[in-house]
Amino acid sequence: MLGSLQKIHLPMRRFSETDEVDYLIVGCGSAGGVLLQRLARAGFNVVALEAGPFWDTERDWVSDESGSHELYWEDPRVTGGANPLALGANNCGRGVGGGSVHWAAFTPRLHPSDFEIHTRDGVGVDWPIDYEIIRPYYEQLELEMPVAGPAYYPWGHPHGYTYGPHPMGGVGNTLIKGCTALNIPVSIGGPVAILSGSHGDRPHCIYRGFCIQGCKVGAKASTLITHVPDALQSGAEIRDHSMVSRVELGKEGRVTGVHYFDRDGNSHFQRAKAVIIAGYSIETPRLLLNSACPGFENGLANSSDTVGRYLMAQAGNVILGRFDQPVRMYKAPPAHALTEEFYESDPKNDFARGFAIQTVGPLPIAFGKQMVAAKRAWGWGLRREMMDYNHWAAFGLLGEILPWADNRVTLADEKDRFGLRVAHVTFNLHDNDKKLIKGAKAKTMEVMYAAGATEVIQEARYAHLVGAARMGADPRSSVVDKFGRTHDIANLFVCDGSILPTQGSANPGLTIQALAARTADYLISQRDAIFTSNQRDLSEPPLHRELAPPGTYGKGAPRLT
Amino acid sequence: MHPNEAPDTALLPRSAATGEPLLQTRQPGYYTGFHTMSQQSFWDESTRDLVTMRVEQPPSIRFFTAEQAKFWRAVFDHLIPQHDRTPDRRILLVEPLDERLYLNRGIGYRFESMPQDREAYRLGEQAINEESQYRFGGGFVYLPQRQQDLTLQAIHDRKPKTAQAIWKQMSIARFWQLLMQDALEAYYSHPWAWDEVGFGGPAYPRAYTRLERGEPEPWEVEEQRYEWLAPRYTVSDVTESTQHLHTEADQNG
Amino acid sequence: MTATDQTLTLTHPVDDARTIANHVREGRFQRSLSLLTAITSIISGLEVAYEHYRGSYSRRVMYTPVILSAVLAVAAVAGFFSRRAARTLLRLAGFITLVDAGVGFYFHVRGIARKPGGWRLPMTNMIMGPPIFAPLLFGTSAYLGLIASYLQREEGNALQRDETDGWLARLLPSHAGRDLISTEQDMREGKFQRQVAIVTAVSALLSGFEAYYSHYKNNFRYKAQWSPVVIAPILAGAAIASVKSRRIATTALPAVSVVAGLDAAVGFYYHARGVLRRPGGRKHLLYNIMYGPPIFAPLLFGAAGMLGVLASLLRRRQA
Repeated sequence: MLGSLQKIHLPMRRFSETDEVDYLIVGCGSAGGVLLQRLARAGFNVVALEAGPFWDTERDWVSDESGSHELYWEDPRVTGGANPLALGANNCGRGVGGGSVHWAAFTPRLHPSDFEIHTRDGVGVDWPIDYEIIRPYYEQLELEMPVAGPAYYPWGHPHGYTYGPHPMGGVGNTLIKGCTALNIPVSIGGPVAILSGSHGDRPHCIYRGFCIQGCKVGAKASTLITHVPDALQSGAEIRDHSMVSRVELGKEGRVTGVHYFDRDGNSHFQRAKAVIIAGYSIETPRLLLNSACPGFENGLANSSDTVGRYLMAQAGNVILGRFDQPVRMYKAPPAHALTEEFYESDPKNDFARGFAIQTVGPLPIAFGKQMVAAKRAWGWGLRREMMDYNHWAAFGLLGEILPWADNRVTLADEKDRFGLRVAHVTFNLHDNDKKLIKGAKAKTMEVMYAAGATEVIQEARYAHLVGAARMGADPRSSVVDKFGRTHDIANLFVCDGSILPTQGSANPGLTIQALAARTADYLISQRDAIFTSNQRDLSEPPLHRELAPPGTYGKGAPRLT
Repeated sequence: MHPNEAPDTALLPRSAATGEPLLQTRQPGYYTGFHTMSQQSFWDESTRDLVTMRVEQPPSIRFFTAEQAKFWRAVFDHLIPQHDRTPDRRILLVEPLDERLYLNRGIGYRFESMPQDREAYRLGEQAINEESQYRFGGGFVYLPQRQQDLTLQAIHDRKPKTAQAIWKQMSIARFWQLLMQDALEAYYSHPWAWDEVGFGGPAYPRAYTRLERGEPEPWEVEEQRYEWLAPRYTVSDVTESTQHLHTEADQNG
Repeated sequence: MTATDQTLTLTHPVDDARTIANHVREGRFQRSLSLLTAITSIISGLEVAYEHYRGSYSRRVMYTPVILSAVLAVAAVAGFFSRRAARTLLRLAGFITLVDAGVGFYFHVRGIARKPGGWRLPMTNMIMGPPIFAPLLFGTSAYLGLIASYLQREEGNALQRDETDGWLARLLPSHAGRDLISTEQDMREGKFQRQVAIVTAVSALLSGFEAYYSHYKNNFRYKAQWSPVVIAPILAGAAIASVKSRRIATTALPAVSVVAGLDAAVGFYYHARGVLRRPGGRKHLLYNIMYGPPIFAPLLFGAAGMLGVLASLLRRRQA
């Protein structure tokens, strides 16, 4: 089962190891799922290798905070630097659907300015593409997921959504009250990839508040339910519990396949004409580094020494406010309202770029951790604060931390249960980042007070993870080109969150899936050239609307913009 | 604690009005009459099985020795005290931790400044005992409640008086975070704790109809607040806002 | 009947009331009812438009009631101006819209079944799913339009018999067609009190149930929210009793109907106030209309009351 109504019936096609498949995708997550579906529907032989399980949502997922830890990457990693990032349940998924299983499903777009922050503000780096190139893919994925939200979304490039906005919970109303009091525009009811009306065999949201523990209903989009079924229908194969250990480079400077461990720990080699790595910002660079070989001693496709660098997380401080009237923030999806009024650089600030303010809905254990961090609560003090759980509302800010070369993924000496060196993540905040966090925090606390909170506290933390295999036009300072093709190896691609050069203050999920669809269209338009030639054609592909999963069109209200 | 032992009233929280100790209860908190487990027929099977087992069949101790288990029970009894609960309604905190360490199950990352979890707990036990020895002349489990509280407060405040060699190997702040995370996970994953704080519990296939204004569902209850003071022995009923610290490393590192 | 007592003076309300009552009694209120149909159809159309937007128009069929209420409104306005339009366009539009209401009811029931837990969680899924009786209540304006298409016009003198007027009856199978012709004749003469009484009862019960579970979602926060839940069965009771008793039809029924109408007005006020009191208030008016108390719902309850008053003014088919 994939949700309360949706089923996959068919037996899955199985390739044999001696087959040379066309595309082999490492990681069947947000990007991997979209790539798998599009390439399979276009007629290619595709296999996805996923380290985690292929979920049966009815059987495997539980409506329980503590019991959902298997959705996250819990294999060992080391984290350090002056401002170490928490990983695991904070930002790393595992299993078919990957991060899109546990995301809160906010799906804003990047702004046009995000693609050229270096030109505009002298910080970060420009993308090798601009907003207009990705815009059709934003619109397309907003139909395929689909995304619910207001009919008119005013920030960045204004646009509307075909699925209507969601009802509010206690936190959303708090955000609305605070923003209204301060005359700040607020986006009510989205944009979120959560159904506000049914979609085929997917019922709409039942407002249970367990988004981050996986949506058993099937209302929240994950590629597991939006793209994987059609991928299998079109002849793709997913091998779960398959941990890729190494990408193999052949004598001609092209990859020939990957080595992976199956669930019993046996090693296999799958031949492929091309390999797409979609393991997200920690595992992707880790795999490239672990695939070092003669000619690429510093890591596969790493002649630029950029693999692992320019890792970014967003500032994700949670501001909590206590109210005399109960809030009960565990009801309704955590993600249901936001404002991007402070997204763009404001000359009045002492920092470049900006931030967003969003609703969050911590369940008791997460809330407890917030009380420990924000109020140093313990013992009887903690029991007391927790008894007041229903009086608190929580906002999460998303602040644009810039890409820095010293924020990176390297290899630790430690090894995991497969004998592979684990990832070592180093993170440091720089001057602009710290000033931005300070300013964002102050503004968010102002909104919380304006909503009528009698006490406001803050848990400092980070959210999301992108970068570490960034795209760029210059092979000396980037790993992949604008389509995700590594500069060094013509048939090796990276297509996941790690290719983002900057992150804006938008949750990256929509951008990741849009880029995956665009890369798929590119590969489809190039057809056999990818397999036979080392020449690189950089022309933009047409959008293959006909390759959308069935049932995408004919639903929803017409878009105003 | 023997189930038939009369409670030591000095350990009980007190009424704010009279200062008298409050009787132990099966369910502290402001939501008397609210029981998530009574709603289990509205849950899905996988969830029901998991949560029921958590309540009825907690894991047994397999990693810690008997001594270690006794030590950690004493420690966790201060991290999340439960003297206000009747003995049969106390939530086991050490068993879930023991299971995690037995399976060597991590949370997916280890700070550079920390060893692996099993080692962290081993070093932590040593450091806490050294601290209690230094301050009060005895191993932690032998001290009276208040001194145990004060010993742990030293870790909480990041102001240990001794065991410097251990705190060089392990960040005291991150160790405290680890302790609290395990305590929180064990306590607030339990339905009795959900009842205490008024959390709705599992919500599939039946979810919520009253999303706004903090209104209770037909099967939830309105809050019935009472004012209370912490027991006399404790120093833990104090909180301190860290609002002014805006990075995670400043707050928790 | 002379020509003078067909027009409303607008200055003497008692005389006007008597005129209206006579018109209704004789089935000569096609134009007024057409206008009323147009108004209720526009209101219904607006309500379903935004409610289906809440449901995100996830199936194309959800556009049909929006489109049809516009069509019905246009047909009703045409019917106000033209007897021919009333008997053809309005009748057809009313019939199709009524069928659409039935289709909607099917989809709403199906939609509730397809929510997690389905009918095992009846209250939860009726509250949070598609409103179960809304499509049938939406059919009210279609029903009004259908009746209107059979009536005589206010200015008509003698009973007009017209062979071509039985076109709808001829489309139906012969047994149903004969029943319809007989009913049509009664309606033309204003002798369909029992029929309208039954429709009143059904409408009141459906509206009352909608009010019940909707107010249950709100936990009956305001005592006044009980009023439609209490009045609806009383109105339905009076209307059903009116089928047997002409006395009740002319006394209790109009009395309770007027109470229902007043309650609807009070409800409309409370709903509008509730919308404005939501976070963001006027600043997010469209959103608050969508997710606040449904502002047109009390008016639909009032429509049941209006049907009750209408029934009380009509004559009965003999035995």
